[in-house]
Parts: sequence; structure tokens; C-alpha cells
Amino acid sequence: MYKPCNRRRFLNRLKTFFSKPQNVILVVLGIVLSVTTIAPIISIFADTFSIHVGSIDAHLSGKTSGYTLMNWIDLFTGTLSRENVWRPLRNTLFLAVFTCLGAILFGGVFAYLVTRTNMKFKKYLSSIFIFPYIMPQWTLAVVWQNLFNSHAVTGGSDGILASLFNINMPAWWCKGLFPCSVVLALHYAPFAYIMIGGIFRNMDANLEEAAVILNTSKWKIFGRITLPMVTPAILSTILLVFGSAMGSYPVPHYLNLVTLSTKYVGMNVNRAGQASILAIIMMVFGVAILLMNQATTSGRKSYTTVTGKSGQTSKVNLGKTGRYLIAVIFIILTTFTSIYPIISFALETFLPNPGDYSFLTTGNFSNLTLKWWITSENITESGMYGQLGILYNSTIWNAFKGTLFVAVVCSLVAGTLGTLVGYSVSKNRKSRAAGYVNAIAFLPYLIPSLAVGVSFFIFGSALGIYNTYLLVILAGTVKYIPFASRSALNSMLQLSGEIEEAAIIQNIPWFKRMFRIIIPIQKSSILSGYLLPFMTCLRELTLFMLLCSQNKLVTTLLDYFDEMGLYAFSSGINLILIVFIIICNGVVNKVTGASLDKGIGGN
Amino acid sequence: MKKLVAIILTITLIGTMLIGCGTSQSKKPQEKSETAKVIEQAEKMTLQELYQKAIEESNGKIMYGIGNSSRGATAATGFIEELKKIDSSYNGTIEWSQPKSNSIFTLLNADIMSASHNYSMTLIQDGNQIQSKMLDTGNLLNFIPKEWAEAEGVNAEDTGNPLTLQTLNKVFLFNNLGDKTYKNCWDFVDKDASPLFMGVDSEPVGKNFLYMLTKDEYATYLKEAFDALDSTKQAYFQPVIEEAAKDAEGLGLSGENVKYALAWIKLWCKQYNEQTDDGPICNELVSTSAVGESGLLVYSKLRSVEESGTISVNNVTVAAYQDDYVGIGGYAYRHYLQLVKTSPLPWTACAFIAYMVTTEDGFYAWGKDMGGYSANPTINQDHSKDGYVDGVDTYPAKNDRGFDWWVGKDGGQLVVEDPKYCADVSFNMSDWIDVIIGNKEAANK
Repeated sequence: MYKPCNRRRFLNRLKTFFSKPQNVILVVLGIVLSVTTIAPIISIFADTFSIHVGSIDAHLSGKTSGYTLMNWIDLFTGTLSRENVWRPLRNTLFLAVFTCLGAILFGGVFAYLVTRTNMKFKKYLSSIFIFPYIMPQWTLAVVWQNLFNSHAVTGGSDGILASLFNINMPAWWCKGLFPCSVVLALHYAPFAYIMIGGIFRNMDANLEEAAVILNTSKWKIFGRITLPMVTPAILSTILLVFGSAMGSYPVPHYLNLVTLSTKYVGMNVNRAGQASILAIIMMVFGVAILLMNQATTSGRKSYTTVTGKSGQTSKVNLGKTGRYLIAVIFIILTTFTSIYPIISFALETFLPNPGDYSFLTTGNFSNLTLKWWITSENITESGMYGQLGILYNSTIWNAFKGTLFVAVVCSLVAGTLGTLVGYSVSKNRKSRAAGYVNAIAFLPYLIPSLAVGVSFFIFGSALGIYNTYLLVILAGTVKYIPFASRSALNSMLQLSGEIEEAAIIQNIPWFKRMFRIIIPIQKSSILSGYLLPFMTCLRELTLFMLLCSQNKLVTTLLDYFDEMGLYAFSSGINLILIVFIIICNGVVNKVTGASLDKGIGGN
Repeated sequence: MKKLVAIILTITLIGTMLIGCGTSQSKKPQEKSETAKVIEQAEKMTLQELYQKAIEESNGKIMYGIGNSSRGATAATGFIEELKKIDSSYNGTIEWSQPKSNSIFTLLNADIMSASHNYSMTLIQDGNQIQSKMLDTGNLLNFIPKEWAEAEGVNAEDTGNPLTLQTLNKVFLFNNLGDKTYKNCWDFVDKDASPLFMGVDSEPVGKNFLYMLTKDEYATYLKEAFDALDSTKQAYFQPVIEEAAKDAEGLGLSGENVKYALAWIKLWCKQYNEQTDDGPICNELVSTSAVGESGLLVYSKLRSVEESGTISVNNVTVAAYQDDYVGIGGYAYRHYLQLVKTSPLPWTACAFIAYMVTTEDGFYAWGKDMGGYSANPTINQDHSKDGYVDGVDTYPAKNDRGFDWWVGKDGGQLVVEDPKYCADVSFNMSDWIDVIIGNKEAANK
């Protein structure tokens, strides 16, 4: 029991604590984020113990309601444990590791070439390199199929290599772990490029030059100086890519790899509780990565690249031929990863039947058609599979509006909350509460999208908000707050406290301080915190696919058309989406200076 | 961070326990729900009377329907127009949604459990899950419209409970441009066959087809088809059949010819080439590059093929349409219409269901295409000449021979889904099938 003076002291301390806006924000966000992040996790945990009528748990336990351990026991010890958990887990881990390696290698080398060498065509290559990240990730998987599938090896129709050059690629190249890893690595390479590129750009070349003077070999300089300096960026890339690759559903689905995500969808029919356990396994890996990251970066090592001292960056000379040759190699590579998909999407919308390239073999260009765009009636007669042309298809445009609505709301809410997290954490840097809020805000990013989707699916179903934009926005906001919080935190940490203190002395209220001082100074980073959730939301599938019907969002509709084999529609939507994102990115870049390739991880 | 994990785990465990406590309710004697009471009355009413009830109940309101077929939205538009013909001031609407994959069951159950209920009715497929998750639990309620039950040719015993909107067929097709022929259903599981098929995990009705094969009637079809094979082929399949006989014991299946069914299923699961949907399968089979390929897919997909230099419906043959074909020609699954037990607008739901199963306009969204057959033959459309162009039989594969031919023993010998049978055998069979598919995937790596 408190004595009166102790109570008064406590109340005074409480009053003082809450007199600071950053503390109020911290407490409110701590509560809000705990509920929105932990409640879905609780739902999913509970689901693993629940009996689902018509599922294996009900069959094995002989009950129709209540709780059982049967899901855990059967999943790990049952006759299907190898198929249902161990093999998918092994594949998932391999996929995540190889994706990280591929993304870091490809993105890292590219970052080095752009920032530290005199390679030609940097501006073009830099902007084109991020295209695979803008596109929905499975579009590259579809492109891969179209290029390499062959009747002789994969069954089904010949891809371009087989049909034009009679080249049949081996099965491991066409389906499974290898193509999945390559496709995801290409998709996430822009991450690595932005992260590692940011460090390279700021790195003082004096360190390397000192080593050169000391006659150190090039490889030793790279291994002992350059590489250690980019370690945090590599770790950050692993942190972000590992979880994302683990939770990817569409790429393994299209390229026939059994992972935890694809297994989750398959098992949901009569093993719903066990499927939830798979989602929990993914979450455990997310938390493990967070712990590993904390352990790695909390040491005493210093990775400072921006010192305040005068620094200079020198460019490695690739030679007269080399600077063109390497640029041409990357132009060819990025043409396949960034330009070719767009051309093939556009072309697909003019074919008479999905995948019917007969105009190439027959030379008869009258086979091409505009029907997928302009058909407005008689849909049964024109081979339209019951759909109106894209321009007249209200389902497509309504889904587009839905996506836009979700993206705008998610970016506004996630961007604002993330900025507030960044602000309040930076102001309470040493407090445990700030550490907690920072961690709980970042946690959803490390949990694979599918697992977050599953938890919100169960949570939303229980609340009766399944298949509503509210649930989609909730999931999107929670998942994307880390984009804004990281970006905001990094930028707020750069701000000296004196700037705000000067305003406080002048008795300037908090709102005014925020809108007149802090936000204008860090405008670019804060806008990135809004831009990234917006862009990501526009092309998100895995997170949302369990939360709503397929015609609510453009990506779920796109996936539906792809699965149905109506490639003209899916390609048309993809094209619209890519063009829209590029325009948005361009407009924001022009107006504010913020852009996608400057945002991830903050730059 | 350790503390964070500890806090999360503690909250999770407490939450789990609390939720557990919250759901341990004592069972109350079952009372008839409001929806069940409405159904009881509605089953005695004519369509016009139901329309009146719907107008009274849902004027100015939105009825939420959910289904596996997007065409429900088209039917809904027609239904609202019908109501407006009776009362021009009627301004109710129907919002139709089509959830992805299997989530319709979770969604319906969640809606029933929640405090506020949205969905009034559903158009749903997968007899196995409907039986075990929805009918056995009483979450969905059956409604048999009076005029449907009285219509000529309706088999209420077979298609009345659950009420069938339509039966759809998935049929064996093959590309006929090479020398390869498929004259027997065992040819689709022969050593060099790799038929295109939707994965059984992505479309559970495919798994139901495999369950149904073990039913005596269909196992006998397979036995008879096996007997019709030449001795070389019989010798090839015989060891698999003997092996399957041992599996039958473990699965608790005792039918005389079930070993033939299990052998066929085993080979099918090992050999089918998984595709994401029937659309891509159709696109592929009709092309000139798919020489000798085969597939099992929804028949109606042929309707949308547009002829071009390398694509033609005439590049495929419907296996069962060959005069000398022996064995099953594919399988049939159903779309069922049901009311949700917590339906907010049960009268409107009954009227809408009655509209779809008793009027030609109501069924038009599905009936306009081949390969979908209403359980009420009076509203079916004739598609026997869909392949005719200007009076000439141009695309014979599109001439639908009709439901009776397809399910007849002397016709297509379709394997028809029976929800109760599927639910009975599903758990043992499902694991057995999953192991075969799992081993196949592991072997392919």
C-alpha cells in the first residue's frame, strides 16, 4: 500500500510522464500495437488446439467441439508428418536461404557497380533494376514458365526456348527449388541494391585508399574493408528477405515447390488446425530472425560510414571496354527481368486465345485481336470466358478501386503510426517501453506474409469482419508499419534534440513543432514511410489472399485470372498495375524527392 | 527482446485458455431456428408467393449471398428484376461474393458464429466438406421449393438433399493430332500417360472423384474396363492391382472390385500432371503442339476456344464420344444451394433459390453453356448442336449429349459425387492419396 506522500509522488511522476507528447504516443501505440499484433497471434495459437468439425482433429479425437492436442501430435508424428511438415519446412528454409544469397549477390554486385565504379548507363539501369520489385512476384514465375517449360520435360505446352530453338531445359531448371529461388532472388535483389547501395554511396574511400598505399591486394581490401562495412546492410537484407521468401505463396505455387505456404493452403481443407501450426512455425522463424538481428547488431562493433569528417568516394575504373561491356551485360539481364515481362504482358492481351502465338508461326497478324480490351457485349460468342473486355469489365475496375482504397488508407495509417513510433522511440531511446514498442511494431514485418494473413484470417473470422476492407486494411497496416517506423526512426535519430528543445523553450505546441520543424526537415524519409506501404499494398497478394473474396482486390483478381489460364486479363491487369506504380513513383519523386529506390531502409 | 517473447507467449497461453473456457458451454436441447421455421412454410408455397414474401422482407435491404460460382451474381440481377416486375418500388439488392479456394467453409462458419450475421444463402461445391462441415453440424439448411419437387423428371431423392442447382461434368479429352489413342479409361494411367489435371489439394472435388471411384458401382466400371484391355496391358496393370488389394484392407474398403479402383487411383495420382486450373489445360490440349496429350477437365471450357492458326476445338476428342471407348468418361460434381441457419433474410433466400431451380431465366447463367445440367430437366437447354455452324456439324466435340447420356452406364459412365459416401471414406482415403502424391513429389526432386 502506498503512503499518501508516495502516492502523490507517483501521481506527480505519472503527470510529468504524460505531459510529454512522446510518452503519451508511446503508451497509446504500445497498447494499440500489442492488441493488433498479439491478438491475431493468440487467435492462431488457439486455432491449433481447437477442434474443427469435418477435419482430421475431429475424426481422431472423436469430438465435435472443444480443444485437443491432436493437431500437434498428428502433424509431427502422424503418417503424413514427412509430407506435411518436414519436407515443406526443409524446402522453405532452402528457398529462404538461396533467395537471400541470390538477392545479396545480384543486388550487392549491382550496387557496387552503380556506386563505386564508372560503369555506363547507371541512371537507366538503376531505375530499371527495381522493376521486379514493383511487379507482383509471381509474374516472373509465369515468365519463367513461358520461357523454359517444354512438352518433353515438364509436360504441357512448349515454352519459347523449346518451341523456337528446340531447347529442352532439365526438370530442376523448370520446376522446384532452383527456379523459385532465382525468381524470388530477382524480385528481392532491389532490396539488397538499395540497402547495400546506400552504404557504398556514403562509404569513405580513404579507408580503401590507405590499404592500397599499404600494398594490400584487391581481394584482401574487399574482404577486410569493403565487405565488413556493408555487413549491416547485408544483415538488414537477410532480415527483410528471409521472412518474405519464407512466406511467399504464389512463386512456389506456380513453380511447383512444396513449402509451408503452399502446404498451408492445401491442408486447410481437412487439416485446418494443423495448417495453423505451419503458420506458427513460420512465425517462430520470424521471431528467431529478429533475435539474431538484435544479437548481431547490439555488439560493440562499429559500422559508421557517415562520420562528419570530410570524406570522398573514388570510383573504380572498369576500363574503356569494361564499363560498356558490364553495362551491356546488365542491360541484357534487366531486359529479361524487367522489360521482357512487360512486353509479354502487353502482347498477351492481343492474342486470340491464352498463350496462342500462332501469328508468329503463321505470319498472319490478323490473328491478333483487341477483344480482350474492347468487348462490351456477347461475351459467350467471342470466346471471352464469360467476361467483358478489360475496358468495360466492372469487376476489374471495382477491384482496382478497392486496391487503391486499401493502399491509400494503409499508407496513411501505417505511415502516420510508423512516423509516430519513430518519433516517440527516438525521444525515449533508452527506455524499455520504447524498445518494446519498436520491437512489436517491427515484428509483423519479420513474420512471413502468409502467417500474418492466416492470423488475421482467423482473427477476422472470429470478429465477423472477414471479407471486408476493414480486415484487409488492418492486416496491411500492421504489416507495413515497419516500413514507416524504420524509416522515421532512422531519420529522427539523425535529428539533434536541440532543434525541438529550442521550440519547446519558445512554448511552441507539439503539433506546430511536428508540422513546422520535424516533418519538413525529414520530409523525404517520412514520405518514403507513406510511399512504401502504398506501393507494396498495390501489388500484395500473399498477405491479402486469405482475407477477402477474389474480386475485392486487383491482385487477388489477377491471381484468379492467372490460375484460370485467362492470361489476357491477368496480363492486362498486371500492365495497368505496373504502369500505375511507375507513374505514382515518378510523380512522388518529382513532387517530393522521395522515391522507391531511396526509401527501403532509409537513405 | 527475451521479455517480449516471454510476454507474447504468456499472453498467448492465457488467451488460449480464456477462449477455451469461453467455449465450453453445456449443450441445450436443439430448437428449430427461425430460418428452419421459414423453410418449413416456404416449402409449401409457390414461386409467386415466395416473391411476395421476399418483397416484404428485403425491400430496401441487401441480401448477402456467397458462392463458388461467380454466375450467382448474374442470376441475382435477374431475380431482382423479377421482383421489380411485381413491385416497381422494390429496391432491395443482392451482394454476391466468391471467396477464394476453400475459404467459403471457414467464412460461412465464422458468419454463423459471429454476433451479427450477414449471409443468407450459399451456392456451394464439394459434397464431402458440405456433408461433414455444414450439413452434419446443421449450419446449412436445405430448402426444397414446391414447384421444383413437382417438376417433371426431378429426382428429389438423388438431388433434393442437399438441393442441387446443377451437375457439372469433367471429362477426359485428348489431343487427336498424333497416333496416340485413348480407347479405355485405363489408357489415361498407362505407363507413358501424363494427363493434365487440377491438383486434388487445390480443388477438393477432384479428390472426391477419387473417393467415389471406390464405391462398388464405379469400381465395377473400372473392373469391366480392365477386362476389356488386351493381355499385354492387363499384365502391366496386374501387379498394381494386387498391391492395391492389400491397401484396401488397411483402408477398410471391402468392395469386390475396389482393388481396381485403388490401382487406378494410385496410378492416376502418380502420373497426373498438375495444373492450376482447367482453363490452362483446355488452352493447351486444343493447340497443335499438344500432340497426344490428354486431360481431365470441365467440359464447358471448350465453349470459349477461339479458332486460330494453331488452336482448334477439332484438335481434341472427347474420349467418351468414341464409339469403341470403354470405361468411365470422367466425373460429375455438383453445385448445391443452401440457406445459412442464421440467415437474416430467409424468405428472400428461399425465393432466390426457387427462382434459380425452377425457372429457365434463373438457371440461364449456367444453362446457356454446355456441360452444366440443372437437377430440374424442364429448365435445361439443349446443347446437342453447339458444335454446328450454319447447320453443319463443324465441331463435334461441342455437341453435348446431355446429362442422361453422360451418367448412363451405356453412355459416359460419369462418376457422380455423393456427399455422404465421400464424407464416410474421406479421412482414410485422403491420407492414402496424400502419401502417394507426397512420394511422387519427393521422387521428382
